[in-house]
Amino acid sequence: MEKNLYHNRLLQWLVYVVFFAALAVIPLVMDDAFLLNQLATYGVYGMLALSISLCWGFGGILNLGQGIAFGLGAYGMAMTMQMQTQDPEYSPIPPFMLNNGLDALPAIWEPFWNTGFGIALALIVPTVFYLIFGGLMFQARVAGPFFAIMTLAILSALATLFVDLQPYTNGVNGISPPAALDIGGFVIDPYMSTSYWVVFALLVLSTVAAKLLTQSRFGLIVQALHNDSERVRFLGYNVAIYETLVYAASGLIAAIAGCCFAFLTQYVSPAQFDVGFSISMVIWAAIGGRNSLLWAIIGAFLVQGAQSYVGDEFLNSWILILGFSFILIVRFLPGGLGGLAETLLGMVSRKRETQESLTVGAGEPETRGA
Amino acid sequence: MVGVLEIKDLHKSFDATKVINGFSLAVTEMTLQCLVGPNGAGKTTTIDLISGRQKPTSGEITFREENITGLSEHEIARRGIGRKFQVPAVFRELTVRQNLEVAYNRETSAVRNMFSFKPDGCAKRLEEIAADVGLTERLGIKAGTLSHGETQWLEIGMVLMQDPAMLLLDEPVAGMTEHEMDKTVEILNRLKKTNTIIVVEHDMGFVRRIADVVTVMHMGSLLAQGSIADIEKDERVREVYLGTEDDEESVH
Ligand SMILES: Nc1ncnc2c1ncn2[C@@H]1O[C@H](COP(=O)(O)OP(=O)(O)OP(=O)(O)O)[C@@H](O)[C@H]1O
Ligand SMILES: [Mg+2]
Repeated sequence: MEKNLYHNRLLQWLVYVVFFAALAVIPLVMDDAFLLNQLATYGVYGMLALSISLCWGFGGILNLGQGIAFGLGAYGMAMTMQMQTQDPEYSPIPPFMLNNGLDALPAIWEPFWNTGFGIALALIVPTVFYLIFGGLMFQARVAGPFFAIMTLAILSALATLFVDLQPYTNGVNGISPPAALDIGGFVIDPYMSTSYWVVFALLVLSTVAAKLLTQSRFGLIVQALHNDSERVRFLGYNVAIYETLVYAASGLIAAIAGCCFAFLTQYVSPAQFDVGFSISMVIWAAIGGRNSLLWAIIGAFLVQGAQSYVGDEFLNSWILILGFSFILIVRFLPGGLGGLAETLLGMVSRKRETQESLTVGAGEPETRGA
Repeated sequence: MVGVLEIKDLHKSFDATKVINGFSLAVTEMTLQCLVGPNGAGKTTTIDLISGRQKPTSGEITFREENITGLSEHEIARRGIGRKFQVPAVFRELTVRQNLEVAYNRETSAVRNMFSFKPDGCAKRLEEIAADVGLTERLGIKAGTLSHGETQWLEIGMVLMQDPAMLLLDEPVAGMTEHEMDKTVEILNRLKKTNTIIVVEHDMGFVRRIADVVTVMHMGSLLAQGSIADIEKDERVREVYLGTEDDEESVH
């Protein structure tokens, strides 16, 4: 497809500004705490769709296991919040551990006494995990569906692990920290607009960072290797490192989303590692438009919005509808809704261009050949 | 005489088929060496072995006195060897400009490239090379929409953007018009003053206009080597190669 208005960088940034400004207005005009909390959760879904768009749409790495980073991030944050409510002297051990027969705090829980350290771990552990796992896979030139299946396998293994390690994770019941996250006196109450703002700020930050990444030279080379990774090698770029870093960057965004999810819901469980949930992230990005960071976010909003609209009774048929729309989109609208916008804008701007060249006389030389 | 590139007793088999059979070659700095030979002689495989696309079964390849046998593609590219593929390989989804920008590989570190947007000197070099290969007017369009000849040009431009010490060009003028070929001859004759070049080519007319040294391959080994005049006189070469080439030309 020829370049059109849709590809204008300045216009793209402008659209981002308008989009985020609209999101920023919501808490100013709405004071329903419950609804605001719900909308903040959409921000989390937006981040996840963004991370998929970066990895899959942009980097060409289909990732069906983004729940790995999301879940690890969420658990890290929940562990931090849990330890904030414990006391080193009077109650050093979370109650669920006592119920599970532990009489001392397990060593892996120790670092979470410190809030800063705990949050850092919530982000670093998944990112490093992605760096190692991605590094091993991409170095061995595992790609495409094989890589996607590996991510699925790891995700299921983690889900099982977190269920099985009952004394450390409280198994299927998960962890529900009794108090809101408190960062040095700054309390992120899930039912106050503060939490919305924090999620909003992190969504903006990750989107801008991801957008800049795609516009950097790194981004250009990733685009090239998405197109033909074999060819890139002969230009001197170590393809495995580029792939690993895109994958890890998307993992970091998903880990941030996990952290937000934990303080918004004050509850994490192995459901965060659910395979179906990770696949729905891919569906959001596909429906919105995986080639566009912003449209992927919009996809998450639309699909999750529609899901909450149809309600829980129809959840089973909803999944069928979702799967069906996914197939339709992949078959007939591979660019998703964003692709549709690109085509429509293309029609508008092409019309304008021909008018201009008519008035100016000599325009660009006609494209020859096919 | 020590060459920049030295290939010693190279062997390559795919399963049971021996494709390269004890091939040796020394390429002198700042010369243009043409690698010719009938279909299936192993020319492309030789280029693949030098550039790291294939690993030799045995033998040694040294570049600037460093053993590069078995290094990976990007490591070899970073040492200053740029290649063009027989079937032109460009990034079809990217614009012509982006293709050339990707090829400007002064900085290959992924982390440093995350913080780089417009590398020094890239824009200027890009303008020069685009003009050189006649793609200035086409910079904004997708590479996938170029004609075959233009795609060849683009890939040559990409190799030039790398500014490699050594260029490996696999059939650079295949599918080019007479006029485009003249231009390639002009560029190659200019380039060989500063770079070492290996050109794989079938068209003896083209070889005559550019080659300093001609190497003839046959069934994976060296058949003859020398100036174009020597080669054209060589009885064995006429037998395996030039005879068939004449037939081919009469078909065209
Ligand atoms: N990956 C491979 N697996 C098996 N056989 C191969 C492979 N690559 C090349 N060959 C075989 O090796 C032989 C030499 O191929 P090569 O492409 O090097 O020839 P060439 O001299 O470049 O010929 P052409 O002039 O047709 O390009 C051919 O017989 C080919 O079938
Ligand atoms: Mg060949």
